[in-house]
Amino acid sequence: MKLIDSIKRDFNTMTLVMIPVAIAINVVIGQIVSLLKLPVYLDSIGTVLVAAICGPWAGALTGTLSNIIWGLLIDPNAFPWFPVALVIGFVAGWCAVGGLFRAWWKVIIAGILVSLAAAAISSPIQVYLYGGITASGSSFITAFLLQSGRDLMTAVLSTNFLVEPIDKIATCLLAFVSARYLARFPRPENIMGSSSR
Amino acid sequence: MPERMSFFIPRESRIHSLNPLTKLTLAFSLIIIAFFCPGLFLPITINFLVLVPLSFLGKVGKEFIQTSIRLLLPLFAFLFVMQSLFYPGGKTELFGIWIFSVTSEGVVFAFRTATRILVMVSSFLLLLLTTHPSALMSDLARRGVPASLSFIITSTLQIIPQMQAKAATIQDAQRSRGLDTGGNLINRIRSLLPLVGPLVFSSLVDVEERAIAIEARAFTLPVEKTSLVEIPDSPAEAILRWFLAAVAIITIGYRIWLSLSSRI
Repeated sequence: MKLIDSIKRDFNTMTLVMIPVAIAINVVIGQIVSLLKLPVYLDSIGTVLVAAICGPWAGALTGTLSNIIWGLLIDPNAFPWFPVALVIGFVAGWCAVGGLFRAWWKVIIAGILVSLAAAAISSPIQVYLYGGITASGSSFITAFLLQSGRDLMTAVLSTNFLVEPIDKIATCLLAFVSARYLARFPRPENIMGSSSR
Repeated sequence: MPERMSFFIPRESRIHSLNPLTKLTLAFSLIIIAFFCPGLFLPITINFLVLVPLSFLGKVGKEFIQTSIRLLLPLFAFLFVMQSLFYPGGKTELFGIWIFSVTSEGVVFAFRTATRILVMVSSFLLLLLTTHPSALMSDLARRGVPASLSFIITSTLQIIPQMQAKAATIQDAQRSRGLDTGGNLINRIRSLLPLVGPLVFSSLVDVEERAIAIEARAFTLPVEKTSLVEIPDSPAEAILRWFLAAVAIITIGYRIWLSLSSRI
């Protein structure tokens, strides 16, 4: 089974101990960033890091658990958003397998792909669960689009496509910088450039 | 050792001594009922007639109300203002402010969304206030959830406070060598890397150490593990869980039947 082999390849002991650290990185950096009042979240650096060096399945698991932990410790509002985090890890992982984490300008492409996937998944959740409005500043853009005659789903989707890339590109770049220092994980070739292959 | 952070409040009560899975099932069933049952006032009824009394039975009533207000009040204020002003397709105008008009459809929609979110957040809150996360995880592991999954969650709960302490140390160190973490946006962006970099690298150093530690304790061996902590469970609770799950499934079925019959 190709699928099971692909999943199994992502999980060795290093992955198992890396995931808790990655989740902690997500949470703690997310808190630092909100303390610095930056206009981004950067709460999935750990997820992208695991996705790049351990693989897409490990990345998806990290994202999911990250939201569960965020819900357990800080705000139960985080639970319903876990599919977004899952997809971020999964897409970032396949970007890395496809070689998009080997040079910094390719990482920007990976960031764009991740943000598109994240926007596509988070918009339906935002519409059906929260009626399109959440307590973040970007909801003002949504409200503006609604007022100018767009329907709810279009307004939320366009807002997310507008806002997500900045955050996700920065996340992927920071994860890329951190990942360059690691090589003992299951997929080191994803980040080390063509020389090591 | 740093204090573990969580919502959990250790007290002796009927709710605390329930099996974690029972409380988890209760939370999920209430959420499903709140989201799938028709009836505008059902979610708020669930909140005030089920969840609030249960929280007082669990001796965490004060914290329950405080925490839910802290978590939800900003969101609800925002939700009501935005939805009542911008809800698309609102016809019945209640009153107008400047160029905006508040429609009753918008207010009703905001109320429905807000009360559903209220049930979702506060039913989890009841679980989290009365259950230690490790107890929940070891009970789930006993029931067949992979041990590595519960290892990941419980060790994350340990690592986060340690890493927060580390982050505070790094912040102090960088400030003492003159890093300005305030000021304008450019300044704050530039201060991010000196804070994030050392934190990430120093935590990654620990990873290998942990890997050796758990491999040395035969964690990855495919044998059945025993548990140090016994989590109480009773047949009555098992019946309650099946009952709750059945109610939730019936609710979903009813909703599907309702939407099918309205389409014909």
